Amino acid sequence: MSGVFPINIIRFFLLLLAQVLFFSNIHAHPLLDVYIYPIFILSLPFNTPRWLLMVLSLMMGLSVDFFLGSLGMHGAAALLLGFLRPNLVSIITPKGADFEINPNIYVQGIMWFAIYYSVAYLILLGSYFSIESWGFYNLFWLVIKILLSTTTSILISIFLLYLFTTDKRRRHT
Amino acid sequence: MYNLVRFLLRFWLLILFLSLEGFCFYLIYQNSKFHQVFLYNKANEISGNVYLQYAASKGYLSLGRVNDSLARENAFLREKAMESFIYLKNEEHTITDSTATKLQLFTYKDAKVIRNSVNQSANYIYIDKGASMGIKEQMGVISAKGIVGQVVKVTEHYSAVMSILNRNFRVSAKLKKSNFFGQLFWSGKRIDEVRLEEIPKHVNVHVGDTIVTSGYSVLFPENIMIGRVRKVYAQPEKNFLEIDVQLSADMNSLSHVYVVNHLQKQELEILDSAVINQAKK
Repeated sequence: MSGVFPINIIRFFLLLLAQVLFFSNIHAHPLLDVYIYPIFILSLPFNTPRWLLMVLSLMMGLSVDFFLGSLGMHGAAALLLGFLRPNLVSIITPKGADFEINPNIYVQGIMWFAIYYSVAYLILLGSYFSIESWGFYNLFWLVIKILLSTTTSILISIFLLYLFTTDKRRRHT
Repeated sequence: MYNLVRFLLRFWLLILFLSLEGFCFYLIYQNSKFHQVFLYNKANEISGNVYLQYAASKGYLSLGRVNDSLARENAFLREKAMESFIYLKNEEHTITDSTATKLQLFTYKDAKVIRNSVNQSANYIYIDKGASMGIKEQMGVISAKGIVGQVVKVTEHYSAVMSILNRNFRVSAKLKKSNFFGQLFWSGKRIDEVRLEEIPKHVNVHVGDTIVTSGYSVLFPENIMIGRVRKVYAQPEKNFLEIDVQLSADMNSLSHVYVVNHLQKQELEILDSAVINQAKK
C-alpha cells in the first residue's frame, strides 16, 4: 500500500505528457484519435472511493483539455468514466474472485482486461466524441469515428500495459 | 437508520457527479466560442511554452523537408510579389518614377506553427507570433502551398488561428478558369478535402480545375491557391453545384506559415460603413 501514491502521481504525469505530446500529434486521420490517458483512471486501485475516482478522473480529463484546447470536454467524459468504474468492475468480475488491490493485466488476465477496457473506452470516447462534434458529423460518421478510435486506443493501451506492467507472479516463484 | 445513511451516501455521490458534470458543461459552453479560452491568458502562455519547446525539438527531425519547402516557398514569394501591388494610373500626369505608381496592398509576416490539430471538428493552429509582432485578429494565414486559416485570437507572443479544417471557417473562393465564385468550407470527413458551394449549375466544372481565393475579402490576396476539384455533384433538386476540393496545403505537416496583413483594410472598412449608412437612409 505504501507505493500507491507515488506510482499513481508518476503515472498521471507520464500518461498526460505521452498523450498531449505524442498520441494527440499523430493525426493519422480525422476519424482516428488515439487516447491513452484513461489508463490512469482504469489503473487506480480497486478500493479507491468513488468520490476520489471522480475527482481524479476530472483532474486527468481537465489536464488533457488544458493542453488540447478543448476545455471541459475530456473532463466531462473522464468524469463519467470515473463515476461508472466501480459499477463496471463489479459487473464484469466473477463472484468470489480474489483480486489484488491494483488492476494488473497478469493477475486478472487478458480477457478480463479486454472487456474492462472495451466498455470503459466506449463510455469515454463515445461521450467525448458526441460532446465534441455537437451534431457536426452525421450519425454514421460519428459512430465510425467512435468505433475506429476506440479499437485503436484499446489495442495501443493494452500493448502499453504489457510493456510497462511487471508480472508479480513471476517474482514469487 | 443504517439504510437511510447508505441511501444518503449514494445520493451524495450522485449529486457530486452531477454538479461536476455541470461544471464541465459550463466550461464547454464558455469555451464554445473559443475566444473565451484566451481569458485564461496566463494558462495559455504556459501551455504555449511547453508546445514551443516541443516544436523546437521536433523541428530538428524534419530539417531536410523544411529546407525543400522553404526553397519552393522562396520561388512562390517571388512570383507573388507582383500581385501584392495594385497599379495607380493617373491620366493627367505621366509618372516616370516607378515606385510612385504602385501601392502596396499586402505584407506578409512569417511565423512558425507550434501546435496544430486536425482531429477535432473545430481545429485551431497556434503560431509563435503575437501582438508584440504586429499580429492582429482577422488576419489571413497562408502557407507556401495554399491557404491555412484566419487569426482569431492574439496574445502577447502567440496567436490562435482558426484552421480551414474548422466547422466555423468560411471563405469566398473562385474557379480560376471561369471566375465564378462561391462559399468554401470544411465538410469534416477528410483532412485534405473541403467543400465549395454556390457555384451555378450552368458552369462547366471539371475534375482537376484549380480553386483559388476570390480576393473579395480582406483576409487573402486574390489568386492564392486553395486546391483542385476532386468531385462534382449536381443534385437535381438544387440550383447549385456541390464541389469536393482537394486542398493543396498539407494541413497535417504545417511548419512555416505567413500571416497576411491587408494594409488598406481600414480604408475599405470606412467605405463599407459608408455604404451601409447609405443603404439605411
